[in-house]
Amino acid sequence: MSLAELARLLPLIGVGATTVVVMLVVAFYRHHLLTASLTLIGLAAAFLTLWVAPAAPSAQVTSLLVLDGYARFYLGLIVATAFGVTLLAYDYLEARESRPEEFYLLLLLATLGSGVLVASSHFASFFLGLETLSIALYALIAYPRVERNCIEAGLKYLVLAAVSAAFLLYGMALIYAQLGTMELSRIAQSMSGMGGAPSVMLLGGFGMLLVGIGYKLALVPFHMWAPDVYQGAPAPVAAFLATVSKGAMFALLLRYFAPIDLHAYRPLFLAFSLIAIASMLTGNLLALLQENVKRLLAYSSIAHLGYLLVAFLAGRAMAGMAVAFYLVSYFIASLGAFGVITVLSSGQVGGRAALGSWLLAPGGDKDESHPYQEPRAKSQELPSSPGEAESIEEYRGLFWQHPWLAGIFTAMLLSLAGLPITAGFVGKVYLLAAGVGSSLWLLAIVLALTSTIGLFYYLRLIVAMYTRPPVGERAFESRRQSPDTRRQWGGALVLGALVLLLVGFGVYPAPLIHWIQVAEQGSSRLAGPFGERRAHRSPLSVGDERPAPAVSSSR
Amino acid sequence: MGTLVVYFIAVVFLVSAMLGLSYVLGQRHEDPATGEPYESGIVSTGSARLRLSAGFYLVAMFFVIFDLEAVYLFAWAIAFRELGWRGYVEALIFIGVLVAALLYLWLQGALDWGTSSRAARRRP
Repeated sequence: MSLAELARLLPLIGVGATTVVVMLVVAFYRHHLLTASLTLIGLAAAFLTLWVAPAAPSAQVTSLLVLDGYARFYLGLIVATAFGVTLLAYDYLEARESRPEEFYLLLLLATLGSGVLVASSHFASFFLGLETLSIALYALIAYPRVERNCIEAGLKYLVLAAVSAAFLLYGMALIYAQLGTMELSRIAQSMSGMGGAPSVMLLGGFGMLLVGIGYKLALVPFHMWAPDVYQGAPAPVAAFLATVSKGAMFALLLRYFAPIDLHAYRPLFLAFSLIAIASMLTGNLLALLQENVKRLLAYSSIAHLGYLLVAFLAGRAMAGMAVAFYLVSYFIASLGAFGVITVLSSGQVGGRAALGSWLLAPGGDKDESHPYQEPRAKSQELPSSPGEAESIEEYRGLFWQHPWLAGIFTAMLLSLAGLPITAGFVGKVYLLAAGVGSSLWLLAIVLALTSTIGLFYYLRLIVAMYTRPPVGERAFESRRQSPDTRRQWGGALVLGALVLLLVGFGVYPAPLIHWIQVAEQGSSRLAGPFGERRAHRSPLSVGDERPAPAVSSSR
Repeated sequence: MGTLVVYFIAVVFLVSAMLGLSYVLGQRHEDPATGEPYESGIVSTGSARLRLSAGFYLVAMFFVIFDLEAVYLFAWAIAFRELGWRGYVEALIFIGVLVAALLYLWLQGALDWGTSSRAARRRP
């Protein structure tokens, strides 16, 4: 490995080294602020090293990783998001956790995994990155281990991610058996160059790959876990789940599947179209029924991934730009929305949770000194978490107590709904343009229609926030213990920056477009989602095969 | 493709025949002791749900983790001369991360269990 290759790897090395350093520091000296600051410094350093990449002829680093402009763009996005999540998580953990330090360790690991995922060019690194991400996420989701919801969510995610990994591996094996290579770019090439009907084995392999990826992205037939996990996971982790874990997977999907002319693979194209339509419909329709903000955001994120699939299927020169822009706006808005929930949930409340004390003090255990039971001693004075601020009812009248937070939440929701002067609007225009540009009329129409439905539930939440609570009923502030929002500097910083970015890119998207174009030029693929020309395709004629939205898995 | 279908049908047939035949031909008891666990004719006492010390579980986990990582070192040891200094440095990094993880576990007190441990003396 030459020095140039090492220099290209620096962002990944940086995140990895930070993980080890943070682990050692936690081992010797537990200090929340120190751990968080080290994490932030490490992530910032990794972000800066993105620009160190030398002008080497090839961006390929071994056959496993490729760190071209495309990978570095998404790597930057991931690292920046992890930075934001860390800042948001600090106050949240300070208020709720007795041992918050390992959270950062796991967050760094998850970041590293998703970084490897976007940079992977080989099935091995693809799977390695995915597993690093997933395994860190199991623990992150179940981090507040005294709460039943969190454990349930963690367990659900564990089981489903394991099943999807099995599908993924089997699919990879079938494809390898058929094509004889595990390098993603060569698979894409030999798929494009292949004439005639693809063999059953290859289609089966891609079908299984699709199932595995669909689970990770929570696309519709594979979306059942998403609402439960989002609801159970701590709010900062839910933000990470909604943004980084999905974004990394989608970036990879776009890079290697988009060059394959899906029209030659009719069944695959049909499957993707059906999944896209089902995701848009189900996500938006079920979100209408939700009374829990986190579940609502979960369903809305299912719908957003469906929108992204439209651009993915369009697959022309537009797709790369559309997906990149939309993902950035979606990252900003989702992080912001979950960020507001985090800030509101960071209040300290006295009293012990019955469940917590039950779990931490198993009766009849004489082994008082067991080190792994240390939290037990602490839990006596540990403030129990009152649950997060997550039902829509709790947000009624938020504006009259926390005007800034309500305003920020409104901006984020409007961006998710795709209204003008937010980045979400520009992103959605790009998606629609990509869909229409490739004459995917049905998909484009469904996108437009379901976005309108989506507007309704976002507005419902917004209306709730601005309703003045009736006289006699207590307002947000007093219904739950006041989240001391004025002292949450990290949250304020992140949310402020996110709003600026959101409105900034909505009003003046040129810089972001420029960055995406620079990233495109830096990408070294022969044919790819960026700058690729493809024959005009016929309109999608899926007909009336729209599946009925799955019966609600809502609780 | 054809053989695969035949194989699939054969598997389905075999499994359903085994389950179905034992259902049809098998005996059914409705005696008082049918549902109880069999312990050499002795009536079982107590519940099977014992409390096990978490220490066993931890030791098992650590064994699996560190044992698995030793496998990579064996693979490196075989090709030690061919890989040269570069391989040596890479293995050093690998071992370094492992040592860091071990250090972390140690200082967390995951390696000592029982009453006379360091953690117990420190925390009366």
